[in-house]
Amino acid sequence: MDVTYVPVGEALVVAPVGRVDEATWEEFGAHLAEGIGHAAIEGRKTMIIDLSGIDYMSSRGLRALTMAKQEGVASGVSIRLAAPNDVMREILAISRYDRLFAVDPAAPSADA
Amino acid sequence: MSEQTVVRFWGTRGILPVAANARTIREKIANALVVASREGIESYDDAIRFIDAELDFAAAATYGGATSCVEIESGDEAFFICDMGSGLQEMGREASRLMKRGRAGKFNFFLSHMHWDHIMGFPHFQPAFDDNSEIVIYACHADAEEALQRQQEEMSYPVPFAAWPARISFLKMEPGREYQIDGLRVMAMKQDHPHDSFGYRFIDGAGKRIVYSTDSEHRIDNMELEDAFTFFFRDADLVICDTMYSLAATSSAKEDWGHSSNVVAIDLCRQAGAKRVALFHHDPLLDDEEIQRLHEDSIRYEKLTREGVPVEVLCAYDGLEVTL
Repeated sequence: MDVTYVPVGEALVVAPVGRVDEATWEEFGAHLAEGIGHAAIEGRKTMIIDLSGIDYMSSRGLRALTMAKQEGVASGVSIRLAAPNDVMREILAISRYDRLFAVDPAAPSADA
Repeated sequence: MSEQTVVRFWGTRGILPVAANARTIREKIANALVVASREGIESYDDAIRFIDAELDFAAAATYGGATSCVEIESGDEAFFICDMGSGLQEMGREASRLMKRGRAGKFNFFLSHMHWDHIMGFPHFQPAFDDNSEIVIYACHADAEEALQRQQEEMSYPVPFAAWPARISFLKMEPGREYQIDGLRVMAMKQDHPHDSFGYRFIDGAGKRIVYSTDSEHRIDNMELEDAFTFFFRDADLVICDTMYSLAATSSAKEDWGHSSNVVAIDLCRQAGAKRVALFHHDPLLDDEEIQRLHEDSIRYEKLTREGVPVEVLCAYDGLEVTL
């Protein structure tokens, strides 16, 4: 799974690419944990997970988001989600994860 | 009795029995009449056709409010019953009617656990008042008998356990071991729930597999156990799954309450190659429209995440029968 970590203002934007399922959720979770580590070291209060490159996510991926949220709380980093595609928006609604996380329609760009 | 195995849902709620009140029924009828006014309904049969064609489930019926009780009718004479929630009362009345018509009164119960909503129907189980009945209670908990005895102590119930004429015995099962019981192969699996709970897998003579897995939490940090569930559910024809809360709730406010979600149930069944999943143990706070939306959302989630063969998503209601 490819992923980029881009600082934008006060936040770190983590942008994984691919599908998050039973085969890839651990790698996805490790990327999120790494992002939280970076954000905490750099003193950033927010990590934005750019979902625009995620095709689909099963419950294991969603639960990796929960673990990242818990790790974020422990490290003083709040987590936001951004730019879900139509499928991801539905999955977030069905699982009620759109009530657990702030979801922004777009991710901030480095130019912003 | 049917030659095929039939799974019959007598109680599908969790926690606490609920019932539709007069206002709810009145609203359903009023809404149905508004829609019906456009139709030329002149007979009872016309009305039934109209209901089937024009009204959705929540408008025309109810998911019911009795707590967990599921019967598995296989080709053998014995009754197989998972849990003793308040749905057991109606099941017991039907069993007594069948016994009067000649069916043997052999009852095999399988207890997921002894929380109140799963045993509260037993004191009202009509065949227990019949000396022709033989009741065998299978459980993995060592304290199952104590729990059932206790709820019929004088401070809780007027008829003590020992006063019943039926022959009642308890058999402790070991999880992971397969038992041959009156024509079915049965295996239990330990689940994550306060004071533990156990799921049961039944295999009939034709190889049809039914899994009863309620009151089972699937934690975010225990994926090894989740893999074990995938194995337990493998190739099941029907998995009856605890889907009481949303995934978000089980990961936050309802964490440690010992329950699961529609999303995890569907994922487990897809990985296991199960043919159908029945959403079960409905939250008593949900009304019919909300349960129907849960069902529609679940069908949609299955479609969005499908890989290969679809998993049919059923929503259990009191009175549902599934023939395998």
